[in-house]
Amino acid sequence: MLHKILNSIIVLLFFSSVSAQKSSSDSSDRVLDEIIVTGTKTENKASNLPLPIQVISSKTIQLSGSQKLIDILQMQSGLVIANNPLGTALQGYPNPFGDGIQMQGLDPAYTLILVDGEPLTGRNAGIINLGRIAIGNIKQIEILRGPATSLYGSDALAGVINIITKEPQKNTLQFQTHYASNSTLGLTAASSLKMNKVSFQVFANRYSSNGYDLDKSIYGKTVDPFIDYSFNAKMIYDIDAKNRFIISGRYFSDKQFNNYMIYPDLQPEVVKGNTIETDKSLYARLQHIVNNGLNYYTSVYATTYSNNAAVYLQKNDSLYEEIKLTQFLLKPEIQVNIGKDPSSLLVTGAGYNFETVNSTRYGSPRELDSWYLFAQKQIKWKEKTNIIIGARFDKNLLYPAQLSPKIAASYKVSSAFLIKGSIGGGFKAPDFRQQFLDFSNSLIGYSLIGARELGHGLQMLKKSGQIDNSIDINPYLNGVELSPEKSVGVNLEFDYTFQNNSVFKVNFFRNDISNLIETYNLPFSKTNNQAIYSYINVNKVFTEGAEVTFSQNFNKNFSLYAGYQYLIAKDKDVLAQIKEGKMYKRDPFTNITSLVTKQEYKGLYNRSRNTANIRLQYNNLKYNTIAFITVKFRGRYGFSGLNGFQDGNNILDDDREFVKGFTLVNTTFSKQIANRWEVQAGVENILNYTNKIQMPNIFGRSYFINCNFKLQK
Amino acid sequence: MKMKTIKLSVLACAALVTGLISCSEKGGNSSLPAVSKTDSIAAPFSTTKPFTYFSFKNDAIVSGTDSATTNWDFAFRFVNIIVNSHASGPGNVGVITQSGIYESFMQAPATGYGYDTTTTQLAINARDRDANAWYLYDPSVHALTPKAGKFFVFRTTDNKYVKMEILSVTTDVPFTNPIPPDTIWYKFRYAYQADGSRNF
Repeated sequence: MLHKILNSIIVLLFFSSVSAQKSSSDSSDRVLDEIIVTGTKTENKASNLPLPIQVISSKTIQLSGSQKLIDILQMQSGLVIANNPLGTALQGYPNPFGDGIQMQGLDPAYTLILVDGEPLTGRNAGIINLGRIAIGNIKQIEILRGPATSLYGSDALAGVINIITKEPQKNTLQFQTHYASNSTLGLTAASSLKMNKVSFQVFANRYSSNGYDLDKSIYGKTVDPFIDYSFNAKMIYDIDAKNRFIISGRYFSDKQFNNYMIYPDLQPEVVKGNTIETDKSLYARLQHIVNNGLNYYTSVYATTYSNNAAVYLQKNDSLYEEIKLTQFLLKPEIQVNIGKDPSSLLVTGAGYNFETVNSTRYGSPRELDSWYLFAQKQIKWKEKTNIIIGARFDKNLLYPAQLSPKIAASYKVSSAFLIKGSIGGGFKAPDFRQQFLDFSNSLIGYSLIGARELGHGLQMLKKSGQIDNSIDINPYLNGVELSPEKSVGVNLEFDYTFQNNSVFKVNFFRNDISNLIETYNLPFSKTNNQAIYSYINVNKVFTEGAEVTFSQNFNKNFSLYAGYQYLIAKDKDVLAQIKEGKMYKRDPFTNITSLVTKQEYKGLYNRSRNTANIRLQYNNLKYNTIAFITVKFRGRYGFSGLNGFQDGNNILDDDREFVKGFTLVNTTFSKQIANRWEVQAGVENILNYTNKIQMPNIFGRSYFINCNFKLQK
Repeated sequence: MKMKTIKLSVLACAALVTGLISCSEKGGNSSLPAVSKTDSIAAPFSTTKPFTYFSFKNDAIVSGTDSATTNWDFAFRFVNIIVNSHASGPGNVGVITQSGIYESFMQAPATGYGYDTTTTQLAINARDRDANAWYLYDPSVHALTPKAGKFFVFRTTDNKYVKMEILSVTTDVPFTNPIPPDTIWYKFRYAYQADGSRNF
């Protein structure tokens, strides 16, 4: 009765009339030809694209019942949560970096995160906090593997994760309450309104948690309490048959309550305060159709990210430390799409990135402007072959111009068998930190100076007597030119579809990265005998492996999705040293030194050779119930200095350096009650896996319950 | 029988270590085996407190009051190691940072020894993350580890040759401890060739 009244009120408020909800069992059990945006920057059918693209649908997201994007992503094959090892070792201190996604064995910094095709800014140590993206407003997540720099520019070396937000399709009104362990509360409201020419989509979410503590012996929680707010609004205005105007805005804020212990002068002191992260963006686009074979988009994207942390000593409320960072990006772009047939489009465009950063650690405000041109041609040849050829030219004031080409092709051997291959170049521009950082550690006394800032930084150190007068700093006065990190990525995929309801895919990949930027130290010391570090292009690494996925819709009610990734990731310089007989290891117990053999070298830390995942979905139409189970296995991986183990060479070459593999199992039950109401209940991490040092982001077993309301016309 | 003679000679050389008897003359391939020792010495965990000095000849720590004498060969302070020469002391100690396997290294080079030219240009490289530094610092767990396959060849104050390998660096409590360590321990082994030859 109560909900009927509630419904009526809502209906009166938002709609003139209500019709019965559409039958919920109309989703196809067949293999879908999905509409994908990421591959061509236009809406295109998956079957037209010779690229390895995976789509996570809103239905999958909704069925999982989860509120966190990282939980959804880490349940996909080949995607692994990667913590920054420096972030995990700060016992009791809040992890300043968050958790990112490792793709094809590359660190989170090498995957570009887009929302509706536009980049998120604000990386901390290369990691974008994925908590910034609210789950409830996602239409689908498109994951493109392999370099996508030819379309998207810097950072897209491993690939792109493009989060497509919902578009107003019907008149809908939705509410959700989510309650979970650790006093986690999520409240969501969303509505879309479709009129003749104008449609609106609005979304609001509040998400808070008390956090948790995995180690009671250390003062402070592992994850501090926080409150997040997200707002999204989008308007689509069809001015006439040829003109469409889209405007959308995003707002996110996260307030984390910090409370930990520090030891100035060897005396314990409690500090309290908070870290406030905000992310605001505005996007406007005008689409104009010139004629049947020509249309163009003009767009402007503006985004501001800030991260401000301040902590105060508890005893006297005095400010202990304050760190501020604000990043701004303004990006106008024009894109021209030529061609009648979506399988044979020519997409070309140009844009400008006006980027600024202002931080307590960068001295004065900094700018990083760049402009770019891109073009991509699709070709369909004899019905069986699809080809994409594209390239992008990026020019930044601070480093040499970059040309990033890509070529991809698919060949349909038979109606069931498809072969896809692609090769592309990618780059990652030196970031603000690597260019401009000016930081002196107060505890140990070393200095870390960005490459471009080096001359100025050294002069300042000399002026203040921190560098001896006898030392010649002249060779460094002009700073050091950093080059972008470069990659070449190759993907080769075989798709086999049988009986129209099973798909078997295997994708072989290889990424070669050169010019990796690392810290190094200058050949002289400060007067306190401590080092001065800066950044330089040095390393070469590669990752290679295979990803196998299998999906099967057994019948209307039962479907299975399984994936497995085999990965090898190694440092080429280490391999060269091993070959030259220059890499040694010393057993820390017997003190016996020996040469490291090629077989002993296991590769880069924090990579699992084996990862696997399974997703099962069972629909019981009779009882309107869906059971959803996901399983993720992450095989053992190396961790530098695990349990104090070090054999004197800083490479992974001993079984004692491996963190044990683990399995996460999540399950969700969804039951529709009445027409518009659905209840979901779930258990996450059923096996109760925890690892407080290496995986502090994983809480033990937790429970949640969701109550969903949806009204649509 | 022959075995016994060698053992006796070792004893004789050990006696020489204490500075009483002279053993055999310099050079040649017929030198006696070097005296091998493994020691652990403690020093304050500090980058500012005085160095902790060591003498190979006496196999012992030397008092800081002797820092201006030739009674010591090298000294530790945190990751820094000085040798008794030029800017660091009145001696003429030279050192080479050698790559290879300690056990199978049988002859000290004749030339190539480095000295502490100035206080900021020391013979032993202690710069973190430098390819030639003697140790590794792992910032994720805050551990110091001597690099595998790296050891030192010294020519001591008394003109003898020594090969020395640092095996471990430990602290009384972990670096990550809220209250930092008080003491740092250096465990090292060395072979001292008392006959003045370069053979180990």
